[in-house]
Amino acid sequence: MIPRRFRNWIIFWTIIVWCVLELLTYPKTVPITSGISEVIKGFFSASVGAYPAWVMLLLAVVCFAAGAVGLVRRSKAKSFNVLLLVEGAVFLAWGVLAGGGGVDGWSAAANNISYNWAIQTVVVILGGACVWLWAAGNPERAELTTWNTHQVWKLYRANWQGMVGLGILVVFILMALLAPFLADHALLDPNAQIKDPATGELFGPYHPPTTYYYNWFGTDQVGQSVLTQFIWSARISLMVGLLAAFMSTVLGAGIGIAAGFYGGWQGEGWMRLTDAFLVIPWLPLAMVLAAAWGQNYWMIILIIGITSWPGTARVIRSDVLRVRELSFIERAKAIGSSNRHIMTKHVLPNVMPLIFANLVLVVAIAILSETTLSFLGLGDPLNFSWGTMLHYAWVNGAAGLPAWWYLLPPGIAIILVVLAFTFIGTAYDEVLDPKLRKREDSTSESRFTSRGEPAIAVAGGAGVGGGGGIFTPGQQTDDAMPDFNKPAGGSIGRPEGGGWVGGHIADDEKEGK
Amino acid sequence: MDKRRYFIRKVLNAVLTIILVASFNFALFRILPGDPARLLLPKGKTDPSVIEKQRKTFNLDKPMWQQFVYYWRDTVRGEFGMSFSEKRPVTEVVAERIWPTVLLVGVGTVFATVVGMIMGVFAGWRRNGTYDIVSTNLGMVLYAMPTFWFGLLMIMLFATKLRWFPTGRMEEPGVELSGFASFQSLMKHLFLPAFTFAIAYVGEYHLIMRSSITGVMKEDFALTARAKGLSENAVLWRHVVPNAMLPTVTIVMMNLGFVMSGAILAESVFNWPGLGLLSYDSMQKRDYPVMQAVFLIASIAVIVANLIADIMYYYLDPRVQA
Repeated sequence: MIPRRFRNWIIFWTIIVWCVLELLTYPKTVPITSGISEVIKGFFSASVGAYPAWVMLLLAVVCFAAGAVGLVRRSKAKSFNVLLLVEGAVFLAWGVLAGGGGVDGWSAAANNISYNWAIQTVVVILGGACVWLWAAGNPERAELTTWNTHQVWKLYRANWQGMVGLGILVVFILMALLAPFLADHALLDPNAQIKDPATGELFGPYHPPTTYYYNWFGTDQVGQSVLTQFIWSARISLMVGLLAAFMSTVLGAGIGIAAGFYGGWQGEGWMRLTDAFLVIPWLPLAMVLAAAWGQNYWMIILIIGITSWPGTARVIRSDVLRVRELSFIERAKAIGSSNRHIMTKHVLPNVMPLIFANLVLVVAIAILSETTLSFLGLGDPLNFSWGTMLHYAWVNGAAGLPAWWYLLPPGIAIILVVLAFTFIGTAYDEVLDPKLRKREDSTSESRFTSRGEPAIAVAGGAGVGGGGGIFTPGQQTDDAMPDFNKPAGGSIGRPEGGGWVGGHIADDEKEGK
Repeated sequence: MDKRRYFIRKVLNAVLTIILVASFNFALFRILPGDPARLLLPKGKTDPSVIEKQRKTFNLDKPMWQQFVYYWRDTVRGEFGMSFSEKRPVTEVVAERIWPTVLLVGVGTVFATVVGMIMGVFAGWRRNGTYDIVSTNLGMVLYAMPTFWFGLLMIMLFATKLRWFPTGRMEEPGVELSGFASFQSLMKHLFLPAFTFAIAYVGEYHLIMRSSITGVMKEDFALTARAKGLSENAVLWRHVVPNAMLPTVTIVMMNLGFVMSGAILAESVFNWPGLGLLSYDSMQKRDYPVMQAVFLIASIAVIVANLIADIMYYYLDPRVQA
């Protein structure tokens, strides 16, 4: 039997995921003003669930691999693995359907599959069922996960900063998802100028805000609605930030674990690579890459992903170095576990919370990075993001007018979103590390280690000696978090800051011994 | 650790990293999609014979390892080829842009360090007081703020609305000034870019200094100083601050290496004719030889700044010497 709370979560999140996917692919051509029946029809139109075929094929491969590995290794939840294979088959069929339309038919939209929404619904429900079966097959782990998550949430809820951050984020995410209903996408057309309904005349370029909805934020240099741009920009800014941060964290965590776990030349090699990447100035490199690789937001995601991982790698590595010395690793080694087994079953679960906290903070950095690149004119010219808006405001001289209504909204939105992610990361970090919750008493201990190393060296190197968290034994997150009490940025930096590259001082923890 | 060994190790490390980064620079401009010979020429239609000639001049017709050797020879000599947007040697183009950047970055860094640290000292000293809460939240906002956006706001407010400062450039075009007047004009032009450049760092240094002060205040020697009956001011400025400066100074030094990114943004917004504006312009014109040179300079700056920070730390913190 699966825990009741776990079951509720599955139902809740399945519905949420379904709603998000539906809204994300809701047709841009059907605004809410086109009537209730049109809107309802919109949810079942060809564009809903029309992803590129490679996404579905990729997901199919992932499902097949996970299911097959589970079956071969005779995991406890057999039905879960079988269902994973079924899910993979659905993805495969979907991908083939979407990709089968010839040369440029590599998306479901191009092939005009009008029942994508139905396949998507099936896929989401199957996904929920997979988790259900997993929980049924591993009842004690499901119980533990439920309990842990509930405890974390209870602690998190008590942190007002974290809740404020979450609140801001939810508002912006809702704005991004509901964009088709909040603002007509047709108004982003290069020639779409907005009219004053009172007089029936065009507002014209750089009209200050009025009470008319689409003119709340005034107009831009060609008389377009700034509000519309603002609302649709939220999608690109958030999506690029989230995906780029995800990519960067996966890369950084992988390299960090490899660098920390392997001693000798392998670990040293990964560390040298990280160090070399860490000193390459981020913005010039990203500019070169963006200038050469062309301008669409997938490229921006790729560029931010492959240039911003070294900070994460360093933080993760320092934690792995601590975990590596724990006795259960020694035990696993003694009974002859393979390196891969130890890394995936012992090291990874122990550094996972840190990876997650790091991910949240990297999102903030990635959003700033995207904004910076777009501001310099390297963004996607077809899709607005807040950075692109600022770029247009800049090159068209909004600051010289001064057209404050064009400059303020995107900038304030960026600050709010970045702050929200920082707050969430910090709050989560405090939840994980009880030492930080009572930091008033503990800061002095964490400044210097017993070995007398400077605190800076500690930040980039080995842990301070373990925090002794409740949920993740010995979780040590001191060096990852920019918060009120520690150097901002940790090893992660602002796009133009390079951040606090701790650890370069004493090179690495070996120095201190 | 032995002083000689420590220094030799640090310097060797830096040299090794420079070699790595310079090799990466070589690779970067060759893994870019497209023919490198084509990349090194202006966009648009080009005569095949010109491309052939370009291939010869940059030794792109040679095998890769020979190219690598040539690249190193040229880099060591300080030759980076010709800028095709300005039709001059890259070295020349870059050289005249260095000083404006050094000026901007120098003034900005000094400002950010002094203001950020002083703000942080008081915040850490009166922890959780009204000033602390206000200034720390302000620091967070400054840290989360895109620099260029702040720059645009500055232009809007101080250059367009109030007309206190010019909107950009280093001097008025077509106006010849001499002596004090030219200095005055330079300062007027410098103020907004330097302030914009500094503002993100103010937030960062404030937060670092605050946490550092809080940490040091809990140390035994601070308690001893109080117990001796020293005044609060003496405890703060004689005992706590000097010790708390250590991490901040190091981070300031290390950030010096990364100023290039901040300079790119501040300089492009304010048209300040430094390396940052140069890299923005060359990016727009796809002037790869210049980009390559700027990229190398920026990377080496980081490594050298880190090296200096290491060496400074040796003298500042006796614990490293032990």
